[in-house]
Amino acid sequence: VARARPVPDLRPDQTFATAAARIVAVRADELLEHSHDVLDLNEVERVHDMRVATRRLRAVLEVFRPCFPKKPYRRVIAELKDLADVLGERRDRDVQIEGLREFAADLNEGDRAGVERLIESIDSERPVANLALATRVTEAHVAELCERLAELVAVAEAEGRRA
Amino acid sequence: MKAKKVKGLEPRGTLRDNAARIVSVRLAELRSFVPAAMGRDEGDAQHDMRIAAKRLRYVLETVGLCFGEVADTARQGAREVQTVLGELHDCDVLIETVERYTSEEGAPPTDRGLEVLVTRTVQRRDQLHADFQSLWSRLDGEAVWNRLAAAAEDGTSA
Repeated sequence: VARARPVPDLRPDQTFATAAARIVAVRADELLEHSHDVLDLNEVERVHDMRVATRRLRAVLEVFRPCFPKKPYRRVIAELKDLADVLGERRDRDVQIEGLREFAADLNEGDRAGVERLIESIDSERPVANLALATRVTEAHVAELCERLAELVAVAEAEGRRA
Repeated sequence: MKAKKVKGLEPRGTLRDNAARIVSVRLAELRSFVPAAMGRDEGDAQHDMRIAAKRLRYVLETVGLCFGEVADTARQGAREVQTVLGELHDCDVLIETVERYTSEEGAPPTDRGLEVLVTRTVQRRDQLHADFQSLWSRLDGEAVWNRLAAAAEDGTSA
């Protein structure tokens, strides 16, 4: 799992709004960084890293909620929730298949048929989960989300300066 | 599970003051699942408690710098709770997946491999449940949550 990047220049005595701007900016960059090549069904860790980056970003936005204007905040949170849901749909299947393959390898050959059919059944759902994900990780879609995030960061920065 | 709203947050107040309020609420939320989530078959409460642990972990990742070393210990503790309850939930989901798969129209009959899968998953879930109980006792015994609550109440490093 990709580790959260440290946020520079954070201090307990700075304003909540200034901290919000700095932290959200870093977590938004992380999301952008992990949004590439997630549709490759052979590279399961990329989906996982983007899912974690999405969760972290959503979590910090929720922590700093009062620092952002309500409507744009809600819109970004809704988008991140949708994104997390479709990433989860892919990731959950990746994890189940990996676990089942390990389990099947320990079984006697004659006992594997049912588990192998179950793996095929879950595997057949992955392209469907990928289709839902594909609509949300286009360059244009991610760029639009980043733009909205940059607007939230700018509002928080301005609020921090006014304090 | 919807997160409880944190009252009294001030964008122009200090990070430390606001962080103290958030940590207090998220910690109380996590602790509110005990004893309910301790029961063997309390899958829903355990799932909600995992989400509460995840929220506290992310809050501490974000604002832990306001509370010193105790925040690192608590963040690690929340991460462990999240992990063990996550694995436990994965077992519940896998059992449900197998049950759904084998009950679908036209599904092949359950064979020995699938039976062993369910049996072993139930055993693993029981082990994870025992691990969760031990972990919570250890964290409680080390006063991890009490120290974090005190640090948040002081609003200063513990």
